[in-house]
Amino acid sequence: MASAAAPGEFRYIGKRRRTKEGPRFVQGRGRYVADVALPGMKHVALVMSPHPSARIIAIRTEAARALPGVRYVLTGEEFCAATDSLQIGVDAPQVRRYALAHEVVRYAGEWVVAIVADSRALAEDAAELVEVEYEPLPFVVDPERALAADAPLVHAAHGSNVLYHRRFVWGPVDEAFAGAAHHIAFRAVWGRSSTVPIETFGVVARWDPGTELLDVWASIQMPKFPDQVARALRLPGNAVRVHYDVDVGGSYGGKRGLKHTALAGYLAMKLGAPMRLIEDRLENMRGGDAHGPDRIFDMGAAFDSDGTIRALRIRAVDDAGAYTGRAPLQLGKPITAICGPYRIAAIEYEPVSVMTHKTPQEAVRGFGQSPTNFALERMMDRVAAYLGMDRIALRRHNLIRKDEFPYRIPSGSAYDSGDYHTVLDKALAAIDYPALVAERDTARRAGRLAGIGISTCLEPSGGNAAFEILFNPKNETTTWMDSCLVRIDLAGAVTGVIGTSSSGQGHETLVSTVIGEVLERDPASIRVARADSLSALPSNSPVGSRMAIMLGGAAAGAARKIREALIAIAAHNLDCSVEKIDYRDGDVSVIGDPSRKMTWDQLVEIAHRKYHRLPPGLEPGLQAKFVWEVPTGGGLPTPDGRVQMYPCYAFEAHVVYVEIDPDTARPELRRYVCGHDCGVMINPDIVHGMTYGGIAHGIGAALYEKFAYTPDGQLASGTFMDYLIPSALEVPALTIVDHCTPSPLTTFGQKGSGEAGYLGAPAAIANAVNDALAPLGTTLDTLPMTPHELWRKISAARATARS
Amino acid sequence: MKAAAFEYARASSIEEACALLRERGDGARLIAGGQSLAPMMAMRLARPTWLVDINDVPDLQYIRVEGERLRAGACTRQRALERDARAIRLVPLLSQALQWVGHIQTRNRGTAGGSLAHADPSAELPLVACVLDAEVSVRSTRGRRALRAGDLFTGPMTTTLAADELIEEIAWPIWREDHVGSAFTEVSIRHGDFALVAAAAQVALDGEARCLRASFGVGGADATPVAFPELAQTLAGARLEDSIISTIAERAAAALDPGEDLHASAHYRRHLAKVLAERSLLEARDRAIARRAGQIRQ
Repeated sequence: MASAAAPGEFRYIGKRRRTKEGPRFVQGRGRYVADVALPGMKHVALVMSPHPSARIIAIRTEAARALPGVRYVLTGEEFCAATDSLQIGVDAPQVRRYALAHEVVRYAGEWVVAIVADSRALAEDAAELVEVEYEPLPFVVDPERALAADAPLVHAAHGSNVLYHRRFVWGPVDEAFAGAAHHIAFRAVWGRSSTVPIETFGVVARWDPGTELLDVWASIQMPKFPDQVARALRLPGNAVRVHYDVDVGGSYGGKRGLKHTALAGYLAMKLGAPMRLIEDRLENMRGGDAHGPDRIFDMGAAFDSDGTIRALRIRAVDDAGAYTGRAPLQLGKPITAICGPYRIAAIEYEPVSVMTHKTPQEAVRGFGQSPTNFALERMMDRVAAYLGMDRIALRRHNLIRKDEFPYRIPSGSAYDSGDYHTVLDKALAAIDYPALVAERDTARRAGRLAGIGISTCLEPSGGNAAFEILFNPKNETTTWMDSCLVRIDLAGAVTGVIGTSSSGQGHETLVSTVIGEVLERDPASIRVARADSLSALPSNSPVGSRMAIMLGGAAAGAARKIREALIAIAAHNLDCSVEKIDYRDGDVSVIGDPSRKMTWDQLVEIAHRKYHRLPPGLEPGLQAKFVWEVPTGGGLPTPDGRVQMYPCYAFEAHVVYVEIDPDTARPELRRYVCGHDCGVMINPDIVHGMTYGGIAHGIGAALYEKFAYTPDGQLASGTFMDYLIPSALEVPALTIVDHCTPSPLTTFGQKGSGEAGYLGAPAAIANAVNDALAPLGTTLDTLPMTPHELWRKISAARATARS
Repeated sequence: MKAAAFEYARASSIEEACALLRERGDGARLIAGGQSLAPMMAMRLARPTWLVDINDVPDLQYIRVEGERLRAGACTRQRALERDARAIRLVPLLSQALQWVGHIQTRNRGTAGGSLAHADPSAELPLVACVLDAEVSVRSTRGRRALRAGDLFTGPMTTTLAADELIEEIAWPIWREDHVGSAFTEVSIRHGDFALVAAAAQVALDGEARCLRASFGVGGADATPVAFPELAQTLAGARLEDSIISTIAERAAAALDPGEDLHASAHYRRHLAKVLAERSLLEARDRAIARRAGQIRQ
């Protein structure tokens, strides 16, 4: 498929064109799960555990049942007997997970009882009438404490709180540490933040006893969702029909909703009524099971006096919370870019996934890569500080050079392409780096705390999720294909059919642009439809920055088949070979004899109605499917855990300027530039939009957002009063500088960009804050860097300076 | 996030609102802008049995100047007060403070009286009311009474208002000295959040830049907003050197009893109280001096 062309060679790709889905959202005409209203639909509310760990002694539901309008009260005892555990991402069969707690609760906020009523308000009234008697049990909310031998066990049957622990050694790490001139070691802590989309998770489920079919409309972004729902409900796969034509109001990784859907599906079947479960914000934040990575990095680096980084040791302890699905795998994806964009020959990586009595973790934008990038970039600045070397010079010295691609890193992945030095230079030029340094130094002379932060980070893309097998040898998955069906109807209109829902990634724009490019038809005239899971071709959903590559590639593949069919029809009817056909805007003529020609409409007419004019062997009707395996996919890991994961690697270089009020410790981002190279952009506005959002999300992770826990195991930031996301007023003007290094592996040279911005922003901001703190001789390597934490550092440093 | 069931009545006059409050008893609550009450009801942290809506009471929405007072009806929108030309000229501290209250969208709904009645200890308007010693008029079917803002607040979210009383008007003193300056400073984590700590100050100088009178206070660092009239009194007659202001701010901060939460320790809040009290006094002084020098034209 590879044909890396520069953007200028395309007609629609890379052009600034109105997005396909934008108008309906701007007009308020999106159709979200909350817009799905079915006759007789009932509403679900939940009773949540007030304890982080407790035995359920008794549940008294009589008063709730007696309330008029209440249709059912479901407890874990019934639900767990009638359904199967949700899938666990690692090999831990005794860690069982259901939508409702049974016998014990394992975190404050865990769902204990589900109420079904005629309205959501009534269901909430009834939820207040449920009495649950608990016997509190010991609990642990600190992940390192949870590793101790005497720690309370979250799942006693599992025998330990450790879900996954392995020490990978790729290359001569010990030798490099022994031979290097210098070492540093430090700890970096990524706080428990997440994605908090405006739309919480929601699902509507309807069971049709006549056809024995469960219809599901859900706000999802989840690979293999129908399959997992069917398994949990003990249904055959073809008894669940997931409708992908539901707009998803933001996800950024977190909208997985398996437990919600299993619960709503069970209740719909049990009661024979359509069932709606839409989390409110309180349920979403405490019990929606969508917190993000909560990770402690112990970093070691070995390097020479010239700045050459020779080896890394990384230990990452990640708090998965009380249950698990794909969460531990967020320690796995970073293996595909474990040394960042740098030439580092030897790496030891020790991921530890541990359970605590906290809300479970779910996927977040970048799937663990942004925390890892933060730790790596803090390391780069610390190495530079240790050596007294300029941070940019150190990066330039270690960045992989553009003539070294494809570049295979020690953990097994080959990076496809890049020009990291140029992108960094472009970002520095855009911010006028020398002037910025002067600005910072002037501010410092005036007594202000001012700092510049730089990060150079990778966004692995394409979603070849080979960490699954690395983290669970029983899971021998080696394909994460995606697919597209392209059809031309009798009137000649083009439709692309996709098998996934979208949470803002612009798949309709992507697919119509790509099909339009191949068929030379105006993308504005091309409709993109979403199949349901029974009629869809296989998809692995928009995760891992994969859709520009995978869905784009699949759409192009299917469109090319259509184009070939049209050319075959033309050659047959114009009595020439296919090589002699000149295809232009869908019309055809014979090369060298333009009077012999046919129009698009004529070709379509033949395909649909005139079998007698079709070339032999060509199917009538004009439709083509294409299922694409991930480029470079299919491989199994070596015994020492080396495997080719993601195919493509986008690069971003952030430069940020921050000032911190020296007296109040309040930080303020003043300047922000992001140099970005994701290869050929299909639609620049969509790429830029995702990058803006990613940077804002990264600002949140760096400065504001944390699901904090009290010592007594309660979530302290369960509303937007306390879980603080940056508003437009906290995000400075952002400048994005594009660069294009096409990927040789993809259809048009595109790479992924769905996680852009987020993967480098926290790292750059942390480096900027630490540059601002440097004159005080203090550092802060724990996110989020709140005013309070900054003040503690600043006042302690001043106290030390005085004494 | 659905409110518990409640009844609703919309009053068209102050008298009707007071009658409704009396008839409906302890479970009745007034609703005006609803910017605090509505989310509290949605989370079932507030469970009024009756909501008495005063948005249609014309007699509660006005701004007028009478003698030495700027009078604002309790249902005056915060945004209206912020932008009112007389308020900006005569009680500039109001507009300076209101810019910190939530966002434009919430200020378009939120009311002056609602902010006082809600009594969040870190809210901006209650602090200004205490610092300026505003007079709060309160109505009920039993009659009218007036109290000083400092006597309204008794603790976080609690006031001396009886269940059947409504705030009718807030009267803000106008300082008529020639050289008056005021300032509002605040630290919140994000723009528009409730303050971690806020401080407000107003000073009047004579022709020789000596302090005629001063007032200042701190919010968010105690159970209520706290004004410091005795400390401020000590500034009268003095030239407001930086060192004097710093000492006064230090003493004020020491007198506070800040609480602790997820976002700030008591220690940090006390520190901020000192920093912000000092900044607000310095800024107010500088504005008064600038006015004296004719550098600021109104």
